[in-house]
Parts: sequence; C-alpha cells; structure tokens
Amino acid sequence: MKALRKNVLLAALALVLAIGLAACGKEAGDATTPGGNGEGASSDKTIELTLWDQSVGSTDPSAQLIPEIVDEWNKANPHIQVKRTGTPGEQYKTKIKTALAANEAPDIFYGMGGGSFMQPYIENGNVLEITSYVTDEVKAKIKPGVLETLEYEEKLYTLPVYTHIANLYINTELFEKAGADIPTTYSELLDAVDKLRAAGITPAVIGEKDRWPGMYWFNIIALRQAGYDAVVEAFHNPSKWNSPDIIEAARKLQELANAGMFNDSLFSMSYEEMLGAYNAGNAAMMFQANWVNAGIEDPSSATSGKVVVVPFPVFEDGKGTAHEFLGGSSDGFYISANTKYPDEAYEFLLYLSEQLGTRGFLAGAGLPTWNTEGLDTSSLSRLDLTFAELMDTAEAFIPWWDNVFPASSADTHKNLIAQLLAGEITPEQFAERMAQLEPTELHL
Amino acid sequence: MDRVFSNKRDIAVFVGPTLLLFVAIVLVPIFVSSYYSLLDWNGIGNGKFIGLDNYVEMFTDSRALNSMKNSLLFAAASVFFQLPVSLLLALILASSVKGEGFYRTVYFIPVLISTVVIAQLWSKIYNADYGLLNTLLKTVGLPDLASDWLGQRKTALVASFIPILWQYVGYHMLLMYAGAKSISSEIIEAAKIDGASTIRTAFSVIIPLMKPVLKVSLVFSVIGALKIFDLIYVLTGGGPFFVTEVPSTLMYTTIFDTFRYGYGSAISVFIILECLVFTIVINKLFKTE
Repeated sequence: MKALRKNVLLAALALVLAIGLAACGKEAGDATTPGGNGEGASSDKTIELTLWDQSVGSTDPSAQLIPEIVDEWNKANPHIQVKRTGTPGEQYKTKIKTALAANEAPDIFYGMGGGSFMQPYIENGNVLEITSYVTDEVKAKIKPGVLETLEYEEKLYTLPVYTHIANLYINTELFEKAGADIPTTYSELLDAVDKLRAAGITPAVIGEKDRWPGMYWFNIIALRQAGYDAVVEAFHNPSKWNSPDIIEAARKLQELANAGMFNDSLFSMSYEEMLGAYNAGNAAMMFQANWVNAGIEDPSSATSGKVVVVPFPVFEDGKGTAHEFLGGSSDGFYISANTKYPDEAYEFLLYLSEQLGTRGFLAGAGLPTWNTEGLDTSSLSRLDLTFAELMDTAEAFIPWWDNVFPASSADTHKNLIAQLLAGEITPEQFAERMAQLEPTELHL
Repeated sequence: MDRVFSNKRDIAVFVGPTLLLFVAIVLVPIFVSSYYSLLDWNGIGNGKFIGLDNYVEMFTDSRALNSMKNSLLFAAASVFFQLPVSLLLALILASSVKGEGFYRTVYFIPVLISTVVIAQLWSKIYNADYGLLNTLLKTVGLPDLASDWLGQRKTALVASFIPILWQYVGYHMLLMYAGAKSISSEIIEAAKIDGASTIRTAFSVIIPLMKPVLKVSLVFSVIGALKIFDLIYVLTGGGPFFVTEVPSTLMYTTIFDTFRYGYGSAISVFIILECLVFTIVINKLFKTE
C-alpha cells in the first residue's frame, strides 16, 4: 500500500506539473513587499508589479543591468515598486509556460525571442496588446523597421530591447597555428577543417545535447545554399523543403561532420559546456550569436583578444549571399493580460525596454534597436563593433528556425538535424521529413 | 485506545484532513489528467476531444515504444543488479562486521545527495574531453576504450543507468539491513548449532525470513525504475536520438517543448497504470509463493 501510495503521489506530482503548477505563479505574485519602506506614506497606495526574466548568467550583461534598472525605477517611482525574479533559460521556459497556462503570469515577463514561443499566448489573449499605448514619440526613438518585425497581425504586444545575429567566430591563434586561412567560401572552409585537424585542433564545437546549437549550423548552411527567398517560401509551404537545395545543404552538413569539423563529444556536450570549451581555446570555430561575445572577451578566457568574427562563408554553388543573416528576432518583454495595472505596467515596460536596449548595447549584450545617436560606443568590445558593422550590411534576416516553426515542428526539426549530424539519416530522408513539418503562421 | 479506534467519528477526525489533502492533490489531478489525455490540447484555450487517439499514437509511435522499452529494461536492471548487490551488502553488514555503522553510513550517502548533484557528478565522470573515466583509461594505457559515454548510441543507455543503480543501492541496503537485523538471533544461533555454514544460513534462514522486506524493496525498485525522471533528464535529456528516453522524460518534452498537453497526459496516465499493474503483480507473486 505504501508503495502504491508513493507511486500514485509521484505520478500525481507529474500531473500537477503538467496542468500548470498554479502555486508557482502565485508564490511569486503574492510575495510580500520587502519590509515596506517604513516612511508611513499612507496617502498613496503602493502598487507592486512583478517582473520575470531569464537573465542570470555571470557573463550575461543583462543579468547585471536588469536589477540596476529595476532599482533606479523603484527609487524614482516609490508608488510603483517592481519586484524582479530571474530564472535560468531552460527552467524559465517551463516556468513561464506553466504560469501563463494557469493564468498566474507575472505583470511583466520576458518572452523568449517572440516568434512561435509567444504566438499561442497572443492568440489566446494571455498577453496585453499595447498598440494604442505606443506614442509617435516612442516610435521615433526606435530604429526604423524594427517595430514592424514585432507586429503580430498588425498589433503590438512588446517593445524591442536588442537584437542578435549569428556569425562565425574564428580563433585566430589556432588558425595561425594550423596555417589555415579564414574561410570565405565553402571550399575554403573544408580546407581549413583539414588543416586544423592535421594540426590536432578541433575545428569547431557544438553543444548538441541541447540540440539548438547544431540547428544554427544547419540553418545558416541552408540559408547560404537555398537563399533567403526559397527558405521563406518553404516556411509557408513546407513541401518546398524537399528541394535539391535543402538536400544539398543537408549533404554539406554531413560532409563537414564527416570531415571532422565538429568535436567528437558533440552529443553529450551542452550549450554551456560548448561555450566553456570555446572560451578555453579548445576549438577554432563556433557559429553563435553575439550574446556569447562577453564570455569570449572576458579577461579570464583564453580566447580574449584572439577571436574575430566573420559572416558565414558563402557557397560557390549556393543562392544565398553574405548579406543574409540568421537572427534578427527581437527579444522583448510582454505584459500579462491579467495585470491589475496595465498603465503602470506599460510605463515600466517602456522604461525597461529602452534602458536595457541602449545600456545593454553599450555593455555588449546585444545589437541596438533604439536610437544610438550620441551614444559613446568606446566601451564596446571589438567583437561587438564588428557585429554592429555586419548588421549594417544586412539585407535580410531570418530568425532561428525553432522560433519560426510551430512548437512541435520546431522540436522535430532539431531532432532531424541531430540525426543528420550523426549520419543516422540521409540528406534525402532529411528533406522528405522536413517536408512533413507544419507551415509557420508568422509574418516573415 | 480501543475505544478511539472503534469510534467512527474519531476515526474520521483523524483520517479526514489527510484524506482530503490526498484527494485534492493526488486523486483529483489523476482524474483531471485522464480527461486531458483524451484531448488534442496545447495547454491553453480549449482542447478538442479526440477519444483514445493519443493512446493509439502512443502505442504506434516508435519513440514512445522505445521509451517504454527503456524503462522496462531499467526495471529489470534494478531487480537483477541493484537488489542483489544491496542484499549482499546488507547481509555482510548485518553479520556484525567491524565498522558496521561506518559502512552503513557510507553506503547511504548517495541516497542523501540530491539527484541533480549526482547527475552533475556523473556527467563529469563520463565527460568525453576531461572526464574522470576517460582520463583513468588513458592513464592505465587503454586510450582506445575512452569514449563519449553519454553521447554514443551504444553506451548512453547503460551509462545513464549506472548512476541511478548506484544511487539507490544504499537505500535498499538499509531496508534489507533493517530486515536482517530484526531476525531474532536465536534462530541464527540455532542454525549455527545445527552446523549450517554462513552461506547456508543466509539462503535457508535469513533470506526467507526477510521476505516482507524484500517485497517492499522489489516494489520500490521496480516502481522507481518505471517513473525515473530527474537523473536521466539532467544527464542526457533523453538524448542522443532518444536512446535514453524514458516515458517520464518523453512526457516532459511532449508537454513543455511541443505544447502537446493531451498526448503528454496520456503518457502520464500510462505511467500510473504501468506502476499500478506492476505493484499488483509483485504482490500477487509474493502471496502465491
């Protein structure tokens, strides 16, 4: 009986998780104000807003900036106190999903790069529409074209903070050691892989345990091979995934893998371990977005000052150009439709987005979406400046594909790439299965 | 005391609060989840009633079937590796060896450490680049044996079983140790006087008398194996290519990565039923013997 109960209890625990741990949201929402301010301001009622985000990493500049910005806001607005809770990425996803499903979401929360992650909640009315709040004055402060990319069915739900694009990181020290040149074409890339391998250097690292780092590689290869227009078309009409270009892209990824491009331990390595390995100088290349800059340039890293960043090589037989980038999806904060204080929440959202967007850019957290005129960019690292320059050459962006696909297709897409990397499926099988994915409903 | 136990109102007063909690946080969610398992639902808004389609999918999807196979394999590994080792340790400790208390504590330590810590520990042992295991193999001159233990199709499943088996050996050992200790020393002495060897005593006297404890251990071990989640989740996340996936990790991915609450609930209902069936079968087995 005891065993039975233990088992039933555990199964129930899983169920409780599944239907949304209501208490989770409540706890954070109802947490008492820290000590009160003791001033006895009885005339005005103090409002408390809750904020959830996922910025907690030690090398993540946002993790330092968000508490600072919240503190400043709290000092300037004694009647609107913001209480912030930070949770690491993967756990954050689960936490915010359960809270939203249980209608226990915090007033303001980070929305995981928008895209397919936020789409179900926007459709279901869990998120406050802010179109009417955004004044022309605010719009003028945002870089042209940015707000449009955030619209969902011509309505706004978030403000931009900063943006990210992925490029190829090159450890010049290791390249010199191997006598390899920085690749600008696919054949040069293969050549570099051979030289690096010959010199006993791991050409590139992937933390494929988390599956999305490998996806970035396939995404950029497919973008270079098929070109931006073909990719966008296939997103709306998945049967187009089964095309010679996608098969060729899959073949190239396998060719690189077979040539020894990636670390042998890729399937057991997590994203964090991948960064650790790269920053320790254990691999010559990494294809990642600019959020990893701070770690690479950190004085404690072996890579500090030795890494340059270049656009992913173009393909001789490819339709894509070096001006097409993977990334560009703007991360942003959203307001819960259940908030009791929508006006105050928007005020804070505006403050947070602008402050974090500009200060975060200067701290190297991301590329700017707010006007940067008159800002002193001398604090930026070389890598950040290169990214900003590359960004200016951009003609087209496509966000990380797992943000574009609907959730279950995104998962399948990542799994297919893992199987492709391991050589478990052929490029043809890969393209066939890609063609069975669901179309995206996002505007690309 | 007898009067209290025979008074129905008193019984209700004592049992009531726990029963209420049990119903609210255990039984109700199970029924709610059973209902969800009949829906095609993304976790928000309204689900669509699709009858038993989720269950049909579960028993035809190779990924789900593979996860069930893994959990059964793991249950078998628990019964045939974990329990015998625990029994052996328990019998040795119970036979009044020197440092009994010390060893008992040492074997029990893994049970006290959080599973996530254990998973992190073992992932460092298995790490392909700087792991303890590979370093050891290279030092003793067997570099060919070094491998990416958690990243290879061939080794990942076994490699992720070992830490779990290791973790709970101490737990079962303690249960069995208590069982062995509770056997009256007169019986064991009588066996000795009759000329039974230590091994003969263990097999003919001690183990048969430990049957109730062994049953409990068996049930815990099998059920624990069928619902294992945390260690696998941290160690491999079910990967590579679903090789180490078990029903509970599949349920988690289904719900939180792909938003399929209906299908995930179906898996959770399956886990409950699976555990129930095994508990009943084990109890039946011990009764008929």
